[in-house]
Amino acid sequence: MRPVLFPTTLAALFDIVEHQPDARLMAGGTDLLVRLRQGPADRRPLICLERMARLNGITTENNTVIIGAATPLSAIIADPLVQRHCPLLARAAATVGGPAIRNMATLGGNICTASPAGDTLPPLYLLDARLDLAAAHATRQVPIAAFITGPGRTDLRSGELLTAIRIPMAERFGLQHFEKVGRRNALAIAVASLAALIRLTPGGRVAEARLAWGSVGPCVVRCSEAEARLTGRRLTSETLRAAGAAARAAVTPIDDIRATTAYRRDLVANLPLRLGAAT
Amino acid sequence: MDPLQIGQSRPRGDAAAKVAGREPYAADAYPDNRLWARAVRPGVPSGRIVGLACDAALAVPGVVKVLRAGDVPGSNRQGIVHKDMPVLADDRVRCCADAVALVLAESPAAAAAGAAAVAVEIEPLPGVYDLDAALAEAAHLVHADRPGNLLARATIRKGDGADPLARCDVVVEGTFTTPVQAHAFLETESGVARLQPDGTLWMQVSTQSPFRDRFEIGHALSIPYDRIHIEAPCLGGGFGGKDGATVQCLLGLAALHADGRPVKMVWDREESFVAGYKRHACRLHYRLGARRDGTLQALHARIWYDTGAYAHLGAEVMELGMEHAAGPYRIPHALIEGWCVHTHNPTAGAMRAFGVCQVSFAFESMMDLLAQRLGMDPLALRTANALVRGDTNCAGIHLETSTGIKACLAQVARHPLWREREIWRRQAPPFKRRGVGLAAVFNAAGYGGGVRDAAIAKIEMDPTGHFIVHNAVSDMGQGNSSAFMQMAGHLLGQTADRLRIRQPDTRTAYPSGSSSAGRTTYTFGRALTFACETLKSRLLNRAGLMLFLQDDDDLVLEPDRVRHIPTDRSVTLAQLGAMMSAEERVCLGQFVAPTCKPVPDTATGFFIGFPHVIFSYSAHLARVEIDTLSGVVQVTNYLAVTDGGHVINPAMFHQQIQGGVAQGIGYALYEDFITHHGRVRTEDFTTYIIPGALDLPEIVSVACVEETEATGPFGMKGIGEVAMNGPLPAIANGVADAGMGRICRAPLTPERVLDNGVRAPATAQLQK
Repeated sequence: MRPVLFPTTLAALFDIVEHQPDARLMAGGTDLLVRLRQGPADRRPLICLERMARLNGITTENNTVIIGAATPLSAIIADPLVQRHCPLLARAAATVGGPAIRNMATLGGNICTASPAGDTLPPLYLLDARLDLAAAHATRQVPIAAFITGPGRTDLRSGELLTAIRIPMAERFGLQHFEKVGRRNALAIAVASLAALIRLTPGGRVAEARLAWGSVGPCVVRCSEAEARLTGRRLTSETLRAAGAAARAAVTPIDDIRATTAYRRDLVANLPLRLGAAT
Repeated sequence: MDPLQIGQSRPRGDAAAKVAGREPYAADAYPDNRLWARAVRPGVPSGRIVGLACDAALAVPGVVKVLRAGDVPGSNRQGIVHKDMPVLADDRVRCCADAVALVLAESPAAAAAGAAAVAVEIEPLPGVYDLDAALAEAAHLVHADRPGNLLARATIRKGDGADPLARCDVVVEGTFTTPVQAHAFLETESGVARLQPDGTLWMQVSTQSPFRDRFEIGHALSIPYDRIHIEAPCLGGGFGGKDGATVQCLLGLAALHADGRPVKMVWDREESFVAGYKRHACRLHYRLGARRDGTLQALHARIWYDTGAYAHLGAEVMELGMEHAAGPYRIPHALIEGWCVHTHNPTAGAMRAFGVCQVSFAFESMMDLLAQRLGMDPLALRTANALVRGDTNCAGIHLETSTGIKACLAQVARHPLWREREIWRRQAPPFKRRGVGLAAVFNAAGYGGGVRDAAIAKIEMDPTGHFIVHNAVSDMGQGNSSAFMQMAGHLLGQTADRLRIRQPDTRTAYPSGSSSAGRTTYTFGRALTFACETLKSRLLNRAGLMLFLQDDDDLVLEPDRVRHIPTDRSVTLAQLGAMMSAEERVCLGQFVAPTCKPVPDTATGFFIGFPHVIFSYSAHLARVEIDTLSGVVQVTNYLAVTDGGHVINPAMFHQQIQGGVAQGIGYALYEDFITHHGRVRTEDFTTYIIPGALDLPEIVSVACVEETEATGPFGMKGIGEVAMNGPLPAIANGVADAGMGRICRAPLTPERVLDNGVRAPATAQLQK
């Protein structure tokens, strides 16, 4: 049998980590349990985070929305603070799996799994999310882009835990867009996704554009070249096409069973065009 | 509560039990003292077994035995028609599913560990993994005794064959490919078996063919069929994938070596995907010729089915496809050629719409190509050429049974989804294009020529005056047992609470064939009507006896009693049950489905299964919306008008049509069972994509009852398969109608749609 542990405080958790260094952390388990099924011989203990009150919940502090790492996505989607200050994140979170999965899957889990197809990641990049990391005797904070280092790889150190995600309340972006293209409308892994935050001048020109693509490289691709093509211009199909072309050159998608590299590049170039219809 | 009535929408008889989780499935059986069996499948698609060491496996705690080919008594070959598939491979492995050993263990975990510890050494051999490689000159042979890697090669020639194409005003041409589809049932292949003290092999198994399984198991394991006892509880889905032995021979083998202990086997999803039978991938090349006015003149169809490593029902699947290759149309001249080709891919076999949904894609795409070429309305073109009773279909069969395709098309023509299509199409939002596609399809019912399609139904009244229908054709979820209850209740004038169903048991029911081929409710149901009529007349007779009446006039069978109308005297069924002997309380009825006589001489190379005489027909309409940025196709509305004769239970009729359409939408847009060099790449539902609730539109089902089917019970005919045939061509035609080009390769993935609409020229070309 595999030991399954349910600490309720950070102290208790770090005590377990110290004594059972091979134990693994489990938040919602929606990813980990699938992988464990594929390796039934693995009997390493699991440390479940679901009873850690400190990791669950959404608060604000100093113009920052703070989301506990083990907060389920369904709670994030429904949360008024998130809806008000970072609706883009709620929109992306709503595309993860299906309702049952969103009730279990957590934001911290989506980050630590570090899948190139993680649906919440492009918005977190655009929102300049910072991560609170805690170890037994130290804490640190890193920007998400520095934390995720590759497919399934993060800067999480041994004995360290992601406790919270901090999202600064940025100036309001009039245009917030998230689109995921998968092989079906729910329970789908992203073939490609686009997150966009765009602020327009009263004259209808782009004051600031933030664009990030998911599932088209080892990590989320935030393309400053594409953003630059939009800045100062109107969101016409020509400028959006130019931004798409820049992004097409910047991404490095893989060929896999879901889609080819060529198709993913087409999506990267095409998806920004939708921003023109949204204004 | 009123007596059950034919034609009423009623909840399924099994609904409450299934919703509450009480309905017992084979996978739910956990007999005491059980062992677990697990097959060792090395996963090498082509090779020679040079070593098999079981010592390490036997050393795994909990492992009881490891069986190998030498432990199989009998032929060690299974198969429905052609016995060519080893229970345990002895020398060669021909596909990644081949089992080389069977581990018996005290727990699933021990069985898995034991299976992993069996050391198999296989010398790889060359392999053929696609049609071209298999058909190449001097190709490596999958079976040494099947030259050219052909399991079957057949031809249908009607009129002057393909020759008249040269004289047609217009000829359109296209090449189409269809994917492998998995049945993806909820309940994977599973069962339990035990060798009884009297030497009988007992098995409770998820099967569509309990009676025929006895022969397949008996042949493989050398057990007389009458010493094999099969029970077939409700299946958690079948769709053809449980027609023929899956776990049966392995379980039987395990039971023979289990010292009387019960043995359980449940394939996990991954094993089901590797080892379960699949729908055939096809390549189809079509040339269709017509007069300038749209009258169809001639067809030349060449169809290749990739049947994988073993025969299963491959030849029969191809033959049924060929019989439908020209669609539900009147075409005077046709040459239809079929090749059923072995490869080292996983074995293809029976699946809902058995070879027909592949050809439906081709002929219904061709009809739209022709309409486009002629500048004709696609619905008018179909209607003008639609078969009517008295016509001769493309296989040369003179149609003497109900033939409702014209009436189905007329219903589509009247429907708002068709009539208001232009307005709808023009209202496409930004970056979307809209199209409306049609498909006219048909599907034969019954086994076809040369195979006895018959049933023996049994109805029993128990001593308390309640009725038991002894179903002999498995209920895989399609609801045939509910239909049988409704038929029995209707004929016997009984309420639902007075009727029970007993699921197939080869000891207490009688051979009635498999649950397949759109013949389940039709053939068994007709036999049941005879059994019920006999029992009814017997009950009236015995009541007359008890009431001292001079004859049986004016006696009526009512819920719980027989009443004499003039005197209002009655006898309760409990009284009758107590009076009658056990043998009196049981009635049998038998029925043999109609056959075609004389058989036309159009077909050559067919073994069994040709021709058919009863067909259900359907006209489908799909409204599709295509995203021009991603190529994603969303079916926004769907209409299926179906000629299934008289409808027994409208609610269940529509559910079955909706299920078939949903599975067909999966086939059209999502499902693609991918292998690479004979190894499965879509190992589970992460990569094998089936549609979910958000991908399906509201599916409007309309029963088109212009004429009932005189040979069927209450005028019905089977509709389990026909709905599967429409979605792929209707959606492909809708995509073309939306201006995204003609796609000839299914499924219509976003990538293919985007490529086709933007980059690549269409595969299908127009001639002349």
